[in-house]
Parts: sequence; structure tokens; C-alpha cells
Amino acid sequence: VTSRPEFLARIRAAVARAPARPAGLRAARPAAPAAAAEIIRRELSERWPETLERFRREFERVGGILYRVASSREVPGIVGGIARERDARRLVTWHPGALGVDVAADLAAEGLAVEVMPPADLEDAAGQAALRRVVASADLGLTAVDLAVAETGSLVLLSGYGRPRSTSLLPPCHVAVFDRTALVESLAQLGVFLEAWHADGAPPWRGGAINVITGPSRTADIELTLTRGVHGPREVHAIFVESPLRG
Amino acid sequence: MSDANLATPFRDRAGAALKDTFLQEALTIATTKFIALRREAFGEFPEGEALRDRAKAIKEATLGRLDHYLEQLIEAVEARGGHVHYATTPEAARAIIVDIARQAGARTVVKTKSMATEEIELNEALLAAGVTPVETDLGEYIIQLAGERPSHIIAPAIHKTKGQVAELFARELRHEVAADPEVLTRIARAELREKFLQADMGVTGANFAVAETGTVVLVTNEGNGRMVTSLPRVHVAVMGVEKVVPSMTDLVVFLAILARSATGQKLSSYTTLVQGPRARGEVEGPEAFHLVLLDNGRVAQIAGPLRESLACLRCGACLNVCPVYRQIGGHAYGYTYPGPIGILLTAMQHGPESVRDLAHASSLCGACLDACPVRIDIPRMLVELRREVDERRLAPWPERAIFGLLGRLLGRPALYRLAAPLARAFQLPFTRGRTIRRLPFLLGRWTRTRDLPAVAPRTFTERWPELAREDREP
Repeated sequence: VTSRPEFLARIRAAVARAPARPAGLRAARPAAPAAAAEIIRRELSERWPETLERFRREFERVGGILYRVASSREVPGIVGGIARERDARRLVTWHPGALGVDVAADLAAEGLAVEVMPPADLEDAAGQAALRRVVASADLGLTAVDLAVAETGSLVLLSGYGRPRSTSLLPPCHVAVFDRTALVESLAQLGVFLEAWHADGAPPWRGGAINVITGPSRTADIELTLTRGVHGPREVHAIFVESPLRG
Repeated sequence: MSDANLATPFRDRAGAALKDTFLQEALTIATTKFIALRREAFGEFPEGEALRDRAKAIKEATLGRLDHYLEQLIEAVEARGGHVHYATTPEAARAIIVDIARQAGARTVVKTKSMATEEIELNEALLAAGVTPVETDLGEYIIQLAGERPSHIIAPAIHKTKGQVAELFARELRHEVAADPEVLTRIARAELREKFLQADMGVTGANFAVAETGTVVLVTNEGNGRMVTSLPRVHVAVMGVEKVVPSMTDLVVFLAILARSATGQKLSSYTTLVQGPRARGEVEGPEAFHLVLLDNGRVAQIAGPLRESLACLRCGACLNVCPVYRQIGGHAYGYTYPGPIGILLTAMQHGPESVRDLAHASSLCGACLDACPVRIDIPRMLVELRREVDERRLAPWPERAIFGLLGRLLGRPALYRLAAPLARAFQLPFTRGRTIRRLPFLLGRWTRTRDLPAVAPRTFTERWPELAREDREP
């Protein structure tokens, strides 16, 4: 077994042996990432309609379906409609604290069997196993969105308290709710938020995983024929709410 | 290398591939499509060129302080409660992972597609230890059922037609189905969903690892990377030491060019960033996280002639554009990594003697350099490998003798002027028009698969006075 000091010593020696090379231009890092992220948010809050349009274009290109509603009161109706069209009944949702809106009762009124994810850790293994069975047999998964990247049509989801990783993964249909505060223009801007989330801008509830989701699960492994829903969802829907969710 | 394939010489493996009509059709369809997708993706992305330069600069800067960035990565992973292991050889890496599986009491291991685990031949080791490895990438799953090895870095089953996959599923899974990718995919989904939910351990590679935050980054389209890192109790990530990038700002530069180069997508469906085991307050995610750092010839090249190839992102773009890969496919190369970059990685991992023939499996046309997202000068290194193969006298003696003679001839103008008319006389019986189709005796090996241009009726030197005159009198 090689130890860490031995392993690193060999690398250090190799690095020292290598002739010095000119360093090319690298991307500039934000000095204060949380502040830089806040500036991006403030700038975009003025012109969110254009960013949303660009997001729509790219999101639809990768196979997503976007809905735009005036207020969060319309969300259960949209989700109910998606469910009815697909004969879907069982829905799992992030905890209202993570979702930014409490729609469980209204979704139940739409005829859905709703399972709300717990706000924090289930210490007992039995509880966790039971929860997994529920998620694995659900038809729909409802989540929030931490960032929507216009350049690529991507939804960025942080795992954490009340926001399990599997809600957007195991059910065949993923529905995500977001507002203007989630919109960013580019991957470069996503980089600033990724810096912030790992520094002074880390939310206290953040878990161990960040997923950048760009359209449904897909494969082209058989004759390069595009097929959807191989392991993850076949469908990804996003509901944009015009009035801020936590307003 | 344990591949039985290597018992036959490269020339024969390539020859067999050329005669395989299924393979030829599959390769043409796939590589043509990949090339078009990539071209389109960069065509509508003018910033791409500058990002490629930037990505190359990041790789170079990281290699220049690799010890520092790895130390940072190790500390960040450990700070999040992860364990880091150090493997100099494939044997060591296998032993480490088998040991983790034993200690975790794992019976089934689900895997994402990972060239690093192919390289260390992990599946064989797990099986020998009584642990069942399950490949979950659809292409890898097909390959595993067929008992084969991947033939492309990102599309492992590129050499199989849907008809062959349907036959395979009928035989191995007892599902009689139509040769329809949609149906076949649905069957694989159902089979593998159960495995995900039951597996004790997940093994992945790493597309990147961010030093500062201790984050392992996985790029997949199917979502199996998310499954493998979310559902089992234990997650083991295996990565070559060169996969580290300094910061999240650097990471997004690579994300912007990786999928475009590989499949022509702006991003793959899932870019998954995982940091250690599940955090406090999470109901899922692994309870234990292990990172295995793999050397296997990489460290020696930090100061070696193949240093530049340590920047490789494993996107597969150089395979798709390579006129040799497009003819012979991945298996004929005989090692884990096929294609132009594969030849360099093979030399890195198995020494220059392993590429005695492979170093010549390139026309040096430069298409790989043009396609490479981090502009690795593959042709330059292939020429250097050829020189090394020659200097170490690894090539067969007739080849060395002939090229030795040719070298002496081309280096002496007087001798060359004498030889040209001789060659013209000698070639007369074998020449049709301006090409030589077949040479006699030993030389016939050269012309068995290619034509040779005939020596021209007059050499350039003989024509020069005339050409110069024409130039003066327009």
C-alpha cells in the first residue's frame, strides 16, 4: 500500500523535474463570490423576461416543457393537469420549506396521492428504506430550482434538508417550480454561484450533491438512436412563477 | 494486458475489422453522426475557440503544481468525511476497491461507465472476490452481457447493431423483443432499476475533481451517475491523478466544451457534483465515500514526452475524426483506450514496446489535433513515439533495414540521383499508370492493403531548370 506522503513525494519530484512552461490565460475568479453572485442576481432582476425567453428556447431544445403562471396559486392546477394527462396519481414533493411554496393540500385536492419529503434526517434506517420505496414507485417528483441557466436550458438543484436527490431522479416525470431569482445567463455565471455555495454563500441546509439537469434522461448507446428515460425521468417540466415565490 | 485479442498481431486484428461488414456499417453511421453533431455544436458557439485555449491553460497550470492541487483535494475530501486511497498500479487499485467492498459487506456493486475502472480491470477482480459488478450505462451493460470490452471511449457498444443487441437480450435476459432501441432501452431500465435499489456499493470514475472543494464531478446522459452516487451505502470514485482542476470557476470552462466535443450537446443531461458522503440532514446519499487516486504511468509523464496527453478529457472526439479508427474501430487497437489518444495512453501505461505497431496506426493527418477540445498535439507525440520505437530497435529487422537504407538514400543527393533511374527500371513490371499495386516478395506486405505512388518519370531536380525558365518567361 502506498502512503499519502510517498504518493505525493513522487508527484512533487516529477513536477520539479518538468521544465517550466509559460502559463496561459485562465479564467478570473471572483474575490468575494457571494457578493458577486448577489450582483448577478440584482442585474438580472431588471431584465428577467429576456433571460426567461432564452431559457425557454434552450430548455425546449433539450426536450423540456415550460409553463408560465402569474402566481404560485396556479401551480397545483398545472401539476394536476400534467398528472391527469399521464394517468399519474402518486406524487413525491420536496418539503414546503425547500419548495418555497406549500401546495400539498391543493395537490391532494387535484386527486393526487402526495408524499411530502421530511425536512431533515430520518435517523432510522427503516424509515429511510420506506421512504425510498415510496419515491421509487412515484409517478411524479416535484422540486424547486436553485438556478435556471439560460445558455444551456439547465436546472440546477442542490440537495439538502427537505430536498432529497431522488425526487428529481426516480419518478418518470420531474416537475420543477422556479421564479425570477433563479435565472442566470450563462455557465460562467453558474461558476460564480458554485464558488459562492462552497464559500461564504453556502446555505446552511446544503447537502452533498449538486445536480445540473439539462433535459430528460437520455441515451444513444444503441445505433446512436436517441431514446429518453433510460434511468432518470423521461420528461422534465418547469413551471415559472412570475411573482416571487418567497415574496 | 490480459486481452486475448493481443495474441494476434495488430495487422491481423485490423485486417479482420476491415472485413467485418457489420462493424464497417456501424462505424460509418456512428462516427459520421458524431462528427456532424460536434461541428454543429461548435459552429454556433464562437466563444468555443477561446474557451479551448483557456481549458488548455488550466490543464497546463494544474500539471505545473499537481502536487499542490492534489494535496488540496485530499484535504478537502477528508474534511468532508471522505477517505482517500493511493494506487500506483492497477493491482493496487483493484486491491483497495476489493477491500472496501469486503469491509462494507457488499455483494452487488453498481457502476457507471468509467475508463479508469476499465483500465484497472476492476470487474474481473470484484468477481474473483465474490462481488457482482453491474455496469449500468446502457452501452456498458450491453458489453458486459456480451462479455466484451468497450470499443469507444463514450459509446462503448458503438460496434453493435440493434439486431445484435436484441439477440443478446433474448439470450441473456430471456426477453424476445423487436430490434427497436426504444424497447431495448425500456428492458434495460427495468432490469437495472432493481439493481440500483438493491446494490450495496457504487463505483464511478470522475470526469473532474475540484481541488478546493473536494468535489467529484460526473457527467452522464442516462442518470446512472446520479443513481450510483445517491442510492448505495458506499460510493467509491476512481480517478487518474490528472483529473483534478483547481476551482469551480475552472470547472465550468471544461463543462462548456466537454459535451459539445463528445456528443454535440451544450451540456450532457446530468452534471453531478458530489462532495463526500451524505451531509447532515440528508435522507439519502452514501454513508461512506472513498476516492482512489490512480497513477498507472501518469506521474512519470509529468516530466515525460507524453505530458501533453495528461490533459485529455476522454471526450472521444479524436476517435470519431480519425481515418484509422473509422476503418478499424476500437477493438483492433487491443488495449483499453482506442483511437489516436488511445495510442498515447497505451504507451503511457504499457510502455513504448506496446505501441510498436500502433504508433504507425495513424496517417498523421492532424484531424485529432483539430478536434481535441484541449488541443493536444497528438500527431507530434505519435512521431516521437515512432522515433522511440526505432531507437529502441523494437521494430522487426526487415522494416528497420529498409527504412535505414531509405534514410541513407534520401540524405545523400548524389546517391538519390543515381537511384531514381534504377527505381524506375525496377518498378516497370509492377506499375499501372502512376501507382504500384503489388510489390514482390517481402515488400508485398506493404502493398497488400495499400497502393504505392510510382517514382515519377522525372525527378523534381531534373525538372527544375525547365520550371525556373517557364517562370521567367510568362
